[in-house]
Amino acid sequence: MFEEASEVFDNMFKSSFPLTFIVFIPAVLILVSPLPADAAHEFTVYRMQQYDLQGQPYGTRNAILNTEARTVEAEVLSRRCVIMRLADFSYEEYQKALRQSAGAVVIILPKNMSAMPQDIVQQFMELEPEMLATETVVPVYFAMEDDELLSIYTQTLTSSSSQGSLSAAEVLLHTATANGFQMVTSGAQSKAISDWAITSLEGRLAGVGGEDLPTIVVVAHYDSFGVAPVCSPLSVGFGYSLSLTRCLFRKSTGSVHNAYKRGCQRASSPDVKFSMVHKKINLADDMLAWEHERFGIRRLPAFTLSHLASHRLAQRASIMDARSVSPSSRHGAGEPPAGPHVDVQKLSRNTKLVAEALARVIYNLTEKGAPGDLQIFTEQMVQDEQLSAVVDWLTAQPRAAQLVDKDSSVVSTLEYHMGHYLKDVKRHYVRADKRDPEFVFYDQLKQTMNAYRVKPAIFDLLLAVCISGYLGVMYLAIQNFGLLYSVARRVTQPKVKSH
Amino acid sequence: MTLFHFGNCFALAYFPYFITYKCSGLSEYNAFWRCVQAGATYLFVQLCKMLFLATFFPTWEGGAGVYDFVGEFMKSTVDMADLLGLHLVMSRNAGKGEYKIMVAAMGWATAELVMSRCLPLWVGARGIEFDWKYIQMSFDSNISLVHYIAMAAVVWMFTRYDLPKSFRLPVTVLLALCVYKAFLMELFVNIFLLGSWTVLLVKAVLTGAISLCSLFLFVTLVHSN
Repeated sequence: MFEEASEVFDNMFKSSFPLTFIVFIPAVLILVSPLPADAAHEFTVYRMQQYDLQGQPYGTRNAILNTEARTVEAEVLSRRCVIMRLADFSYEEYQKALRQSAGAVVIILPKNMSAMPQDIVQQFMELEPEMLATETVVPVYFAMEDDELLSIYTQTLTSSSSQGSLSAAEVLLHTATANGFQMVTSGAQSKAISDWAITSLEGRLAGVGGEDLPTIVVVAHYDSFGVAPVCSPLSVGFGYSLSLTRCLFRKSTGSVHNAYKRGCQRASSPDVKFSMVHKKINLADDMLAWEHERFGIRRLPAFTLSHLASHRLAQRASIMDARSVSPSSRHGAGEPPAGPHVDVQKLSRNTKLVAEALARVIYNLTEKGAPGDLQIFTEQMVQDEQLSAVVDWLTAQPRAAQLVDKDSSVVSTLEYHMGHYLKDVKRHYVRADKRDPEFVFYDQLKQTMNAYRVKPAIFDLLLAVCISGYLGVMYLAIQNFGLLYSVARRVTQPKVKSH
Repeated sequence: MTLFHFGNCFALAYFPYFITYKCSGLSEYNAFWRCVQAGATYLFVQLCKMLFLATFFPTWEGGAGVYDFVGEFMKSTVDMADLLGLHLVMSRNAGKGEYKIMVAAMGWATAELVMSRCLPLWVGARGIEFDWKYIQMSFDSNISLVHYIAMAAVVWMFTRYDLPKSFRLPVTVLLALCVYKAFLMELFVNIFLLGSWTVLLVKAVLTGAISLCSLFLFVTLVHSN
């Protein structure tokens, strides 16, 4: 058959050039065609932070992932992608996975963070800084849970566990029936973003007195910082400062003054407790604990308003800090934090309080002589809807420093808003030093991950054995087709005779 | 999966053809070139069918999930062209009945294998993702080989001048079954909501029944005169 075939092809190619063309070009195209990717499931994953601060690396150092999925229950984790659910997450298992040189870690976050038990959330929040601080060679990803992902997780769980005490035949059957998943990220390797500019916005609200008046600086920063930058969505500081800007704009006629706590004390109502916490600035640390310490170093009196009693509390830098408006969320200005949620009502109350305190400082109403129940902002200064809209908008997008580009919508929208109430709105850019960068950010923070259903190599072997068996049977059947033919003939012969 | 998996699927799809070619004695008749010609006729007929379908059967615009019975029936009626094509191949080959049937069916089925299965197998079974459908596709190609042999036999019987009157009806019924088999399968799937393995089984059983019937008719016809 093959000799005939080669003869035929020989004739074909000799006789006509176009035919060669038609046959060969598709053949070449088919041979070099890339492997297609129609994944069983495609989902978005958020990579753990990767940055260098003062030359010190933080977070995961890798972004590429192409390995088979396992859960922590599996015996061998080396060069496997370990999937964990937040509900079963523990630092020991995470460490175990990394020690066994796992290829990657994917942590599945629940869709509804507020439905999680508080202790798990709390525990994870405390782990986040530790995960960040240890330099991780393999990529660590976070994914939002959905039904498909959950089913992948359960299937992986069943195939990962229960392989200990089975017989060889059972294991063989197990491998044939169980589904494995190959996790593949589509993006490129993460690389340092060169010449990244961190944008700051500045605006002024000048008093009547002119240049010689003291200045109050009201500062808020992109305070969303979590273990995965793209998925750390919340910031309240922005909301505060925007609303404050608005309030002050309405009343901006007076002087400006240094900020002191007395104003706040005077303005505080009985249901909001207010206290001062003194903290020494630790100059040896890579990061300053609070934002005001930057001013403190320059010997400017400064403080940070926070509902957290200590800078070490995990809520400050957590991806668990998701926005959900629940009436039961209990944290106020002075109360201990109960849950990482934003209550717009509380936020509005606090904003009003801060504005009131600030106004007292500005108008010199902090002395004993001033009436205690004096209300400076008598009108509806803080509008809940507006505040809620601002917070909504802010929380809808990640604002970690390595994501807020100078052309990003966050910056331009904020600039627009500030320009509405303030004068001389300017942008300042901070860039790291070219030769000895203070900070380096890395890209590829958000990627698409594909989960392909795969079978182990042993399955193919098994399949090959089965197929060769089948082909053998087919061969025998075709060889002995004559038997069937003669049977048919014997059966039909009486019929023919009866005709 | 891997190239190995592709090899598995390809062996499953192709080897029965090879075995049939070798064992049926076609290789001794030097029939390779004739099979290639039959394949070329297959290509030509499929092209005509496609042109016809594209011209006269606009795409079904009913709701998704609604099965267009009449439209599908009309479309499978166009498969009558396959019968014409098979007849054309057989009428151009001189020889014994079995030889004509085997050449036409082998060429036809192999052309179908190459045109409509090799590429999906190459692209799909070699991809990362594992799916049973490539194994099923390979089994399906085995079934379609049997199907085309039976179909060619029925066409051959139908076009004989010395076909007895009593044979006319069963042969016509078998012809209709051959043509509308795909339609019937689709109907089954739609009514009983069969799984892919069950579909394959039903198809195998149906094809087996049709080919057994045509074998009996063929044997009777050949040995009656």
